[in-house]
Amino acid sequence: MGVSSRRRVLLPTAGLAVLALVAACGGGDTAGTGDGSTEAGGDGEVTLEFQQWWEPELPDGEFRALIDRFEEENPGITVELLSGPYASTKEQVVAGAAAGTMPDVVGLDGAWVYDFAQQGAIADLSELMTEVGYDDSELASQIEVDGATYMIPVVNFVYPLFTNDALLADAGVSEVPTTRSEFTDAAKKITDSGTPGWIYPLSLEQPSGIQNNVMSWVWASGGSMLADGQPDLTNEDVGSALEFLQGMWDDGSTAPGAFTMKEQDMVEEFTNGRVGMMIDSLAHVNLIRESNPDLDFTISAIPAEDGYDGERGIPYASWGIGVADNSENKEEAFKLVEFLMSQETNSELSTMANAFPGNSTSTPDFTDSDPIFEEAFAIYQEGYPANEFTGLPVAEELMRMFSTEFQKALNGDQSLDEAVETAQAEWSSEF
Amino acid sequence: MATTLSHLPKNRPDLRQHRTPGRKNPGKQAATLVALVAGALFAGLPVLWMLSSSFKTNGEMFANPPRLVTEGFNLGAYTEILTDPVKVRFFVNSYVIAFAVTGLTLLVGILAGFAFSRFDFPLKKTLNVVIVSVQAVPPITLLIPYFGLMVALKLYNTYPGLILTYMVFTIPYAIIMLTGYFNTLPRELDEAVKVDGAGPWTALWRILVPIAVPGLVSVGIYTFMIAWNEFLFALTLTRTEDMRTVPIGIQLLMGQHSYEWNQMMAMSILGCLPVLVLFLFFQRYFIGGMTAGAVKV
Amino acid sequence: MTTTRTTHRPPREDRPQAPPPAARPRWTAALLRRRATPFGYLSPTIVLMVVLMAVPIVMVISYSVMDNVITNRSPEPVGLANYGTILGDPAFWKAATNTLAFTSVSVVVHLVLGLTFAILLNTELLGKVTKAVFRVILVLPWLFTVAIIAVLWRMLLSPNGVVNAILESVGLIGGEVEWLSNPTTALAAVTFINIWAGYPFYMISLLAGLQGIPRDLYEAASIDGAGPVQRFWAITIPQLKPLIISLALLDFIWTTQQFALIWMTTGGGPIDATEVLSTFTYKLAFTRYEFAEASTAAVIILAFSMVLAYFYARSQRARD
Repeated sequence: MGVSSRRRVLLPTAGLAVLALVAACGGGDTAGTGDGSTEAGGDGEVTLEFQQWWEPELPDGEFRALIDRFEEENPGITVELLSGPYASTKEQVVAGAAAGTMPDVVGLDGAWVYDFAQQGAIADLSELMTEVGYDDSELASQIEVDGATYMIPVVNFVYPLFTNDALLADAGVSEVPTTRSEFTDAAKKITDSGTPGWIYPLSLEQPSGIQNNVMSWVWASGGSMLADGQPDLTNEDVGSALEFLQGMWDDGSTAPGAFTMKEQDMVEEFTNGRVGMMIDSLAHVNLIRESNPDLDFTISAIPAEDGYDGERGIPYASWGIGVADNSENKEEAFKLVEFLMSQETNSELSTMANAFPGNSTSTPDFTDSDPIFEEAFAIYQEGYPANEFTGLPVAEELMRMFSTEFQKALNGDQSLDEAVETAQAEWSSEF
Repeated sequence: MATTLSHLPKNRPDLRQHRTPGRKNPGKQAATLVALVAGALFAGLPVLWMLSSSFKTNGEMFANPPRLVTEGFNLGAYTEILTDPVKVRFFVNSYVIAFAVTGLTLLVGILAGFAFSRFDFPLKKTLNVVIVSVQAVPPITLLIPYFGLMVALKLYNTYPGLILTYMVFTIPYAIIMLTGYFNTLPRELDEAVKVDGAGPWTALWRILVPIAVPGLVSVGIYTFMIAWNEFLFALTLTRTEDMRTVPIGIQLLMGQHSYEWNQMMAMSILGCLPVLVLFLFFQRYFIGGMTAGAVKV
Repeated sequence: MTTTRTTHRPPREDRPQAPPPAARPRWTAALLRRRATPFGYLSPTIVLMVVLMAVPIVMVISYSVMDNVITNRSPEPVGLANYGTILGDPAFWKAATNTLAFTSVSVVVHLVLGLTFAILLNTELLGKVTKAVFRVILVLPWLFTVAIIAVLWRMLLSPNGVVNAILESVGLIGGEVEWLSNPTTALAAVTFINIWAGYPFYMISLLAGLQGIPRDLYEAASIDGAGPVQRFWAITIPQLKPLIISLALLDFIWTTQQFALIWMTTGGGPIDATEVLSTFTYKLAFTRYEFAEASTAAVIILAFSMVLAYFYARSQRARD
């Protein structure tokens, strides 16, 4: 082409102009939405950004109402709630920390703490607590990395054993199993009468099943997967729990689909009466009641090894809280943490979330809730909360590695011994 | 100008109209119909399942055996979405962004496609290779540097940030398709404006673009869908609820502990409606549209 | 093949791509302007790509020669060590093999299904309305966001799901098949989902392509005694070839990066049965925080696709 023409001045300037315009609007818009983690207004006004996945999980408006109260009590501080999907929170924090736009306060899962602390994304809370003179005696637990606190669990979701009353009765199981051999036996009987006896999720996308549904068997019998903070997967306690699970796999008492199953899928199966027993979060109780009001189920402590009579570890997951290391308003940020951890707020929040409080003096209000919560609270107080993955390096990846090796063993590609040895080697290289 | 152009066809003649209907062969007709019905079941049943699920209650979702027809026709999921200003805002954001991306992509794509089709210049092949292959970098690895860039350019959590981002993904596709499309349009068409002493700019906008409308429509619809359905960057590059788009709204319903199945299904049904309407509206163009564009790419 | 022509000319006689070479040009202002013109048209594209893509891509390339980045405040260059690590990792090759299987099967079946439906929809045996209805139904899978496609198919393919219920009722299977959880069927199952979600792109484009094939070609072939099968191989396929090449190229590149679909259905599992390059890279970056190694994997993928793009650009030239 290239036909000569008098007007072939760089024509596409129009296109460029559009791009320029778009970019210009960009500049304009940011003024309204803020470009960094924090904005300090003219008269000591502070806006805190709080990134979490809790607000969408709680009943509409309740979390915001709680935060509104914080704002009332703390004039000069406004809190902007940034809610994202749970599954993507981690990427958001990493990207935000890298770009220096991390929100002041972030919701955390215990599995992420070590990595974020190592990366310098979240602040040392021990230091902060000393600075503001906070008395941490009421905190039920603190998640530490190298001796310093980085996350405070705000509320905890415990994972007891759920059993379907009707299915157990039909199978002739009169009592909820309390030991592993009773459990194996019950699972087999339920399976023989037509529905799988036991279900657990091993999805590699959300590998938390390893924590809540596999290692929980170890902890319930007082065992540990660590020795002096180092991986110790080849020990007796882990071995016997895995053998117990493999036994139920081999005799067909385990529900199909475990390898890609997620926690949510497991709950749907249980809710619809298609499986006899599961270990699951108490957070699901309301959902089960709502979806299937006719289902009668019981919760109890996770069965222990035969003959074990010590205290039982009960697995839990937390909604934890941390403060961004690059926040310019750490003091105000900690006020929010303090508020959420205060006896009154913490009780309220745990009631809302059907969880147990992170403040040891708080008690959830059971008056309006399912009687099952009160039972669960008793189980919780009898045992001790156990979650050894909290605060470990690349905790989620550890679960994933373990899940992969465990799946290979269940699938018959290797023995359990080989599985724990490989997993042990892989874990060791991450510590 | 107008006079010299008047001999050119305003609209492309539709070849289909010139066709004589084939002889009807009942056996063949039945076979075609059977094959199409099989295809429609393959394509449509999962969607039908989604549609019916959107009318179920969460409890009914997993009934055993699975039920296609719901017991109580429940519109709760839809009313909950449509009366929630936050969720409606997701739809508005998605519209604004998808339309802007489509318009701008077409504009930039037309210019670039014209250059590739009508000019020979140094680096042409290199540019081609670059445009094709940058699409292959896994977006997940670009995420963090890209995010940093957006923050630096003050485009974080803004419409323009998302719009420009999606353009980066849609423009290579648009260029590949539109270059091919222009290639199939006879050069004699551009020559016509020479009589008036006008240059390529005039030829492009006065002649090629009007003829290319069908091709533009097909590229436009696809561009719209990419922008409408994108998740990863939409999530990372926005921060506040009032900037979120529909795919994020859907993921927000997938909670840590449970899924709002019926709302998820309802939201994706609502989400696909605009694209479906666009498709129906432009169907005539769309079918004829990609033809020329693609044939000579 | 354009619809502007109503009479057929053999493709080879097509308009020349470039104007006939003019007399040897001299360096004049006019020539400079002429040289600059195409770049003027390309400037918005170039500006956008350079500003938004060049910086991140260069950063990713530079990350790949560092020990670790982003989560590490003082990265040190380590040369090509990361390349050695990645290329020596059996998991990478397993992921590459899976990606290749997933992608090539997807692309081929997309093409076959897309072409079949396009030809069926192009039939003159059915009425306009019937065809329009089928056209809309067949395009449906294309309209949903990946997250929904993933949860929908997880639900349908679960051991208690609809697919098993249907297959069992017609006696094709006995019992609950774990489509996604069985290491031997998982890759096939995710490939199937990807096929379901992706074929309409071809169908629509090929349908359009079919409209553009001049009818007299078929008539001439019929007169020469060619049957439908011969006509298909002698006319339809050659006429659609350029279109098929560009569709397949785009699809190939897009499918190799399919992440969300696989991640949300199987997470790369069971074991490593559906681990593909995108899930492998994701895990490196966001669960192990090995951003340097993840960038290395990305650069390797980029290099591979540049080779592919080079052949594409060459094939395009040869055709002109």
